[in-house]
Amino acid sequence: MIKLALPTGDLRKPLAALLDGSGLHVEGYGEGSRSYRFSAGSNEEVSVRVFRERDIPVQIALGNYDLGICGLAWVEELLCRFPQEAVVRLRDIDIGEASVYVAAAASPRPAPGHFRIVSEYPNLAEALAGSLRLSAYRVVPLWGSAQAYPPEDADLALVTAPDDSIVRSWGLQPLAALLKGGACLVANRRSLAAKDVASVLGPLLSLGQRPEGHLDLPRTLSGLPSLGAPQAERDTVRLAVPDGHQQPGALAVLREAGLTFEGYDDSGAVARPRSDIAGLDVKVIRPQDMPQQVALGNFDLAISGRDWLLDHTTRFPSSPVRPVLDLGRARYTLVATASEDVPGDTIGEAISYWRSRGRSTLRVASEYANLADRYTQDRRLGRCQVIPIAGASEGFVPEDAEILIEGTETGTTLVANRLKVIDSIFESTSHLLGYEQPPEGRRRAVYDEVVGRLRQVAAPVPAGGA
Amino acid sequence: MPDTAESLRCRGMRDLLPPEMARFRRVERAFLAACRASGYEEVRTPTIEYLHLFTAAGTLSPQMLHRVYSFLDWDGWSGERVVLRPEATIPTARLYSERLSGPARLCYVQNVFRFAGDDQSREDWQCGVELIGAGGPPADLELILLGLSALGALGLGDAEVVLSHAGLVRAVLARAGLTPEGQSASYDRLLDGDLSVIGEVEARLPELDAPLHLLFDVSGAGSGYLANVREALLPALPELEPPLSELATLVQVLEGLGRTCRLQAALARSFEYYSGPVFRFFIGDEDVGGGGRYDELLGLLGGSPTPASGFVLYANVLARLLPEAESDDVAAVLVRPSDDRADGLAAALRLAQGLRDRGIACALALDGEAADRQVQMQADGRLLVRLGEIERPVDGVAQAASLLGGRS
Repeated sequence: MIKLALPTGDLRKPLAALLDGSGLHVEGYGEGSRSYRFSAGSNEEVSVRVFRERDIPVQIALGNYDLGICGLAWVEELLCRFPQEAVVRLRDIDIGEASVYVAAAASPRPAPGHFRIVSEYPNLAEALAGSLRLSAYRVVPLWGSAQAYPPEDADLALVTAPDDSIVRSWGLQPLAALLKGGACLVANRRSLAAKDVASVLGPLLSLGQRPEGHLDLPRTLSGLPSLGAPQAERDTVRLAVPDGHQQPGALAVLREAGLTFEGYDDSGAVARPRSDIAGLDVKVIRPQDMPQQVALGNFDLAISGRDWLLDHTTRFPSSPVRPVLDLGRARYTLVATASEDVPGDTIGEAISYWRSRGRSTLRVASEYANLADRYTQDRRLGRCQVIPIAGASEGFVPEDAEILIEGTETGTTLVANRLKVIDSIFESTSHLLGYEQPPEGRRRAVYDEVVGRLRQVAAPVPAGGA
Repeated sequence: MPDTAESLRCRGMRDLLPPEMARFRRVERAFLAACRASGYEEVRTPTIEYLHLFTAAGTLSPQMLHRVYSFLDWDGWSGERVVLRPEATIPTARLYSERLSGPARLCYVQNVFRFAGDDQSREDWQCGVELIGAGGPPADLELILLGLSALGALGLGDAEVVLSHAGLVRAVLARAGLTPEGQSASYDRLLDGDLSVIGEVEARLPELDAPLHLLFDVSGAGSGYLANVREALLPALPELEPPLSELATLVQVLEGLGRTCRLQAALARSFEYYSGPVFRFFIGDEDVGGGGRYDELLGLLGGSPTPASGFVLYANVLARLLPEAESDDVAAVLVRPSDDRADGLAAALRLAQGLRDRGIACALALDGEAADRQVQMQADGRLLVRLGEIERPVDGVAQAASLLGGRS
């Protein structure tokens, strides 16, 4: 069986059209089917699986897939940290043009004692810091929205954009393009060396080629913000609200509490919605990134989920982020799931089954990498490989993982993907998060007003906090 | 465990069995004895340090930084990364700048961690010395001679000293018309062992073609070679005078003490902090250690500029070169209780402690263990000492100890 990994997201439509033209028609892929697995026309020897782009180089490196297509930036993100990985770049494909820029705010402020670099590409950010020989810097990995961070919450951001005019439209100043490229065809080295993948490789190599992109790490950077003293106490209260799937739930609870922000509504969100409460600044970021942003002191309050709070505090027990209110929305249970073909209904029975089948290392996939890691220890799973993933989760089991740790509300998505719950870990709801010490002075009144309004529509926080 | 089984040991990490440990300890003892004889005092720095100690320009090269084990600690939510110590000089310099002052002679035996591909070792042990707060050629000479003394004590034959000076390469790169950024990039490549840089520099300085070949391509022996280099290069590159003069002093003194040394301009290592003479020690073809002067490092770490120099010997390499010597340790005497009841076990344990107090290493015989030297306890309380084939009854612990070679 030849295994091909294809991306979800923006590359999906143009890539499906190219594949059709090459004679490798993947039924349903271009239409955005919610399925994770596809067949390649009449070729029964080909198995196609859809992943988030960032997961594809990892899956190729692990040898789970022979061939894959994803953005070049994700390939370089893996290879610049793990250059010995078994990923072979075969050719760049002429779709999905995007560059990775290092950018600062158009009106940068002095960096507060060290450079704060935010990015979805933390390995590229570390490599850049090394190339620039920055003596004092901190890379903050993000799930997204890096462009929203400078200047308040970062001094440099690594962002992807089709061209630098887009970067400028975000209010940023592009300082250098680290990588110019588009989609990229990659292969597992061992597959190329020892497996006949020609029936898929041939059509893929006929896809429109573009000049090969290279990672170009500058040794100096014109426009780099200067280093200054640590930031003085600010005079506003800063609230982070979520984008994406959590935005509707957050909007609902904010409306109930009488909190509306211009630029944050059912039609979408701008990076910095306007509040009519004097002294309250609002910013839209990913809910996954909120616990760390609160811990860093960048925000006083944030609306995220208990899941992401626990994922953060599991990794960093001394973090100063705390649950302020249980908002009681977006209720779901974090569960361990396995294929419904696995006999038994408990994690213990499932482990016995896998061990009896000679599997010495259990693969545990999850978007909640820290919680998954803790779960393997708490349940004494023995030798495990935790695979952090970016999404498209239900498709990982059973081929690419034995266990998936995932949130479920009704269980229907799990059933649709032939998964079953073998362990229940905890219940999560949306939470208002805050720094362990509430602000003092003038800011305290604004803080109390926001918390007070939300408290009226919140569920009580259970004893013992989150 | 059979070889075919998948090892539970992490890749790149090694176990040391008793014979290997014995050789390692011989290296350590010889090194520390040499250090003590020269007035050096032992220190130990933490295994985990902040990453930023090693990232400033002039400390570790980017290629070296790419191989460090860096991670976020349990309280690293701020993004402040820490590392498993990738080398020991920078931590020792940090220790000095925070805790000490004046001339300090420090030594240590510590492990360092750096990623290496395949099955190469990722944890190495270094026997190191740092002389901080005093510098110049006298300090360089003290260190080179200390290194030779420690190596000599191991009986591995004469060690060769290879000398260079960080100022040689830096002066040539500056003359090559490279921008400061280009000089830094070329120096990084050279430190990381990319000798193609030399060809690029030679191409930029055609008027110095032959002299540069003499400098970079010829590994010379002692003062004769140094005189040739001075003659060929100084008219065109007068900025080489200070480093060549320092090298000449070192060579002259070492030769005067009967030590031959080789000179090699591009003595590459992934440490940017060297600012003066650098040296390496070889036993045969084996690189067994090296060091040099790093007068600028303490300033880079936020301290006041302080002269400093140091070197490390590679304990793993030296232990591997040592022959498997007869162990200094005599196998433990086994004490065999008369029976497994509480009284019998208590009597055996008392006897074992009595023997230890008289300088005899001993242990209870467990599960049928046997040894050449044993003491069998009889049911009536008497003792039977066995030395190989010989058995002899004795009256009490003092007589047993005497017979076994301890104090009676």
